[in-house]
Amino acid sequence: MFRWIRQWLRSEPPRVQEDLDLGQREALLRKTRLAENLEANLETLQKAAGNSPDLKIRRFKIRKTSAALVFFEEMVSSSTLSELLHHLQVESMKADHYRPGLDWAKDRIIDNAEISEAALLDDILSRLALGDTAVIVNGCAVALMVDTKGWETRSIIEPTAETSLRGSREGFVESLRVNLSLVRRRVRTPNLWVEKYEIGHLTRTGVAIAFIKGLASEELLAEVRSRLQRIDTDAILESGQIEEFIGDAPFSLYPTVLRTERPDRVAAAILEGRVAILTDGTPFALVVPAEFIMFLQAPDDYYEIVPIGVFIRALRGLAGLVAAFLPGVYVAALNFHPELLPTSLLIRITATREGVPFPVAFEIFFIESVFELLREAGIRLPRAIGPAISIVGALVLGEAAIRAGVVSPGAVIVVALTAIASFAVPVFSVGIVGRLVRFAIIILGAVFGLFGVQFGLLLLSIHVVSLRSFGVPYFSPLGPLVVADLKDAAIRVFTWQMVRRPKLVGAREPVRQRPGQRPRVGREGDRS
Amino acid sequence: MRTEKIANRQLLLIVYMIRSTVIIATLPVLTSADALQDAWVAAIITYAGTVVIINIIAGLGVRYPQQTLVEFAHRLLGKWPGKAVAMLVLWSFLHLVSVDIRIYGEMILSEFLTETPLVFVISTMVLLSAYAAYMGVEVIGRLADLFFPVFVLMVVASLLATTGAWRPENLQPVLARGLGPPLRASVTPIAVSAELMVLAILIPSLTQPREALKTSLVAITLASLTLVLVAAVVVATLGAEAGARSVFPFLRMIRSVGITEFLERVEAFATLAWGLGLFITVSTFMFCGARGIAQVFGVQDYRPLVLPMAVPWVVLSIHSFEDMFQLRTFFQPRIFGPYGLALILVPYGLLWAGHAFQGLLHPEKRKRL
Repeated sequence: MFRWIRQWLRSEPPRVQEDLDLGQREALLRKTRLAENLEANLETLQKAAGNSPDLKIRRFKIRKTSAALVFFEEMVSSSTLSELLHHLQVESMKADHYRPGLDWAKDRIIDNAEISEAALLDDILSRLALGDTAVIVNGCAVALMVDTKGWETRSIIEPTAETSLRGSREGFVESLRVNLSLVRRRVRTPNLWVEKYEIGHLTRTGVAIAFIKGLASEELLAEVRSRLQRIDTDAILESGQIEEFIGDAPFSLYPTVLRTERPDRVAAAILEGRVAILTDGTPFALVVPAEFIMFLQAPDDYYEIVPIGVFIRALRGLAGLVAAFLPGVYVAALNFHPELLPTSLLIRITATREGVPFPVAFEIFFIESVFELLREAGIRLPRAIGPAISIVGALVLGEAAIRAGVVSPGAVIVVALTAIASFAVPVFSVGIVGRLVRFAIIILGAVFGLFGVQFGLLLLSIHVVSLRSFGVPYFSPLGPLVVADLKDAAIRVFTWQMVRRPKLVGAREPVRQRPGQRPRVGREGDRS
Repeated sequence: MRTEKIANRQLLLIVYMIRSTVIIATLPVLTSADALQDAWVAAIITYAGTVVIINIIAGLGVRYPQQTLVEFAHRLLGKWPGKAVAMLVLWSFLHLVSVDIRIYGEMILSEFLTETPLVFVISTMVLLSAYAAYMGVEVIGRLADLFFPVFVLMVVASLLATTGAWRPENLQPVLARGLGPPLRASVTPIAVSAELMVLAILIPSLTQPREALKTSLVAITLASLTLVLVAAVVVATLGAEAGARSVFPFLRMIRSVGITEFLERVEAFATLAWGLGLFITVSTFMFCGARGIAQVFGVQDYRPLVLPMAVPWVVLSIHSFEDMFQLRTFFQPRIFGPYGLALILVPYGLLWAGHAFQGLLHPEKRKRL
């Protein structure tokens, strides 16, 4: 037995074998180094990548020495690649200071901006997967990794999930580098710092945090870093997965991380002292800490004139309440407290409910479910059929159901109102919560009347005020009341009045601008 | 573990809501004890009495800003007497607030859910409050922040809605029978301020505990202003006799008026305000009760005690009284007056005596505090 183990230990040096499991393969790749022999190296690389057809090898000679370029097809820009090849072949002939090894190439020949050396198989292959090209020369046990990234990306278009009437039309794309440049183009201070992490040992997804050094509090940064570094998983495909790993309240319905695909929104958040987390492969950036009120704000509020901004904010707050509570209150009022409704309205409603075979609660529940179904179907359908379905669903089905006397018009009005209201909430992730809460409130209202609705309201309130997002109370500035921050909560004040940054996140440098910048035309005599 | 703190502003709002809710709930006692049209005078006398009591309670509290009542009772009176006094205070929390919940439950049953069993309404409210108490005093403070505007809006709206129905002559004649009746009527509300003993547990949780006396005085002043207004408006709207006879004069008043054809029944809003206020009250008391019990028995964390504590709360609330009439009898000045005042004066008499005695014994120690 022991002899067998000793033999096994003494047996062959590690080499890439076919029958290893994933964990063993990864461990093996991490300790395998390049050899001196070019052909052996190329074979090892090919074997490690399973002879993948997109792993390309271009052999060539530098003077008398044989060498090769290794890269993944379509990950590299072909013009950069041919330029690199040209330099290596032609310039090496011209240069009179050629000597074996790689330093001369690194120092004199290759003009790409990013070059580094790598010897471990794992390093080389993961850099190749980023779009680098490996230059391997016979007789050298290291490879030169040259930056030749050049894959296809989607062009920058208007964000589809978060449109605005006025304001930037740019939205994030799937490339982390492009997204970072979109942020930096808006915030040009050198104090915009970016830190990069790699998360997921199979996907090796690039994740970057962006913040303003000296404005974002160090405790917040430490917290974000430690939560990101704590993630140990094989794959991150979308920032939603990161959100689940780092969120404060995983069991809560309410998101404690803001996701957005608008660079201007990310820039505004960073400028308040928050931290943005950008993930490669998704147009959705995360912003922490996120208070509840942020989910009800839209960029338009700040770009339109103040009265409009105040008005649409108030309207949106009201819409949020309606979306969550209206059907429940309707059911409660009709079931338990008909005396609360004005008499004439009550008579109208009861008259239209004449002959409807279901109780109010069931009616509302039924139409709400149908509506949710329509909405879900509408998302999945091809663009061309979408409108047809909504016409069939909304007009034909609704009209026919009322005609047939299966549901009452009152219930349809309530559900339609609720649906419109729920679309007024600008951030999707909170909009969905409203839908779930609504069903709970309907049940409470149907069973316990307005007392049940109040129960739901209190329960929700306790829950939301007890949440925190990265140390910041979730429901501030309303609970706890932060008087200074009310200026940008239910209302918003003029831009020149927003002298101070939000108290809870921007406390390190509270003053944003010089106070007293109200425009005074003609009074200071600057027109003469 | 981080110690939870609430801002003095939040204490102000909590005390205001506790006091105003009690007032709306126990309004009939002002008028029923034959103060009649002078209910608002009784309210002013109540204010004077409450100020004295708040000075007794918070005055001692700010002298021990880092300690709850349980801790300083222990220190002033010794181990076992201190525990006994603390238990007496905690009993008053339990009893007074269970009565509050009962009144609310009776209101819900008689006005809205006529066929629901009482135990359901009461246990729902107690469980909700237990949840808030479990989440801690910070959460209660934030809820007070959140609900205060709603509460005030509802009360003000209810009062304004009745403007059309005011009959100022209902308030006349002022003090026709002398000061006797309003004085008698104010006994019960003053005795109810035994509830303010929660301050003695909350003061160490404040960000500025030394300002607690000022904070609570402001809260009491605002609440008393509300009480005077509500009492005057109820009598002006309903008339003294009807106000005295009805069980929930505040709701009755709102119900009696229709603002326009469209807005006829707005008492749902008043009920919501009452519900919010009661919820803040009960959760504050459950928090303080659990915290106090934990300290009396030397338990580190109060949280595990909250849920078991909800049980006696519900039971006491249901079984103390047969019906609303027994409850009203309980609130008669000659029954509740001595009881409530004893709940304040017995523990605080002993504590102040202990404090004075300690001062005589160690004058230098007192300075250092």
